[in-house]
Amino acid sequence: MLLGDLMRRPVTSGDDLVGFVVDCRFVVDGPPDGLLASARIAGLIVGDRHREAFLGYERTGVRKPLPLAWFFRRRERLAFLVAWDDVERIDAHGVHLRDGWTRWSAAITRGD
Amino acid sequence: MADLPHLHLGGRVLDANLHLLDRQVLDADGVPVGVVDDVELRDVTGGGRGPTVVGLVVGGGLLTRVFGGRGPITPRHRIGWRDVAAIDTAVHLGRRAENLPIAWADRWVRERIIGRLPGGRHAPR
Repeated sequence: MLLGDLMRRPVTSGDDLVGFVVDCRFVVDGPPDGLLASARIAGLIVGDRHREAFLGYERTGVRKPLPLAWFFRRRERLAFLVAWDDVERIDAHGVHLRDGWTRWSAAITRGD
Repeated sequence: MADLPHLHLGGRVLDANLHLLDRQVLDADGVPVGVVDDVELRDVTGGGRGPTVVGLVVGGGLLTRVFGGRGPITPRHRIGWRDVAAIDTAVHLGRRAENLPIAWADRWVRERIIGRLPGGRHAPR
């Protein structure tokens, strides 16, 4: 399967539409696979249908200048991370989350 | 909306749109090979550790970018994750382009056309 098949898919919890897949978070933390450790999908960034990463600043903690920091903080709140643990299944209709899924911040912080 | 909790992940974190897709791919000598168009995954089922990255799909995405859809992915477009050495502003490979299937067009033009031109087999003086 290709990552492009996941992007922009609807994300649902029960009968409720939660959002759409706007990005995918990988983590390189597995056993050695060639020159790097193996990489896996840790979670999906979910937002509304038209939400795209705006140069990435909304997730990387921009602090200055203040007007831009305010603008990017507002954008950050419109998208969130869903851990892959909370994905129940993926089918032709989209991504289905399990009951009791957790909404995490999509920000990438130092130490990640 | 209250600030959401942060999910700590042990390891290097990469977001597909921010760090992988559309990044230039450079071989071990720094020669451009192509641009990352997609990521190939394995074990895409719900729950658990998550699908594993098998490799990157490089090149051949111009038409699909313009017209949409998904074109055929041939072996020459695939670069295995095992060949990725580092990811920063570009994706750096641990192999030379000449040893990659994607460079076959470059090799063919170099050997069959440029190599047959006068002076085509050596660097300009």
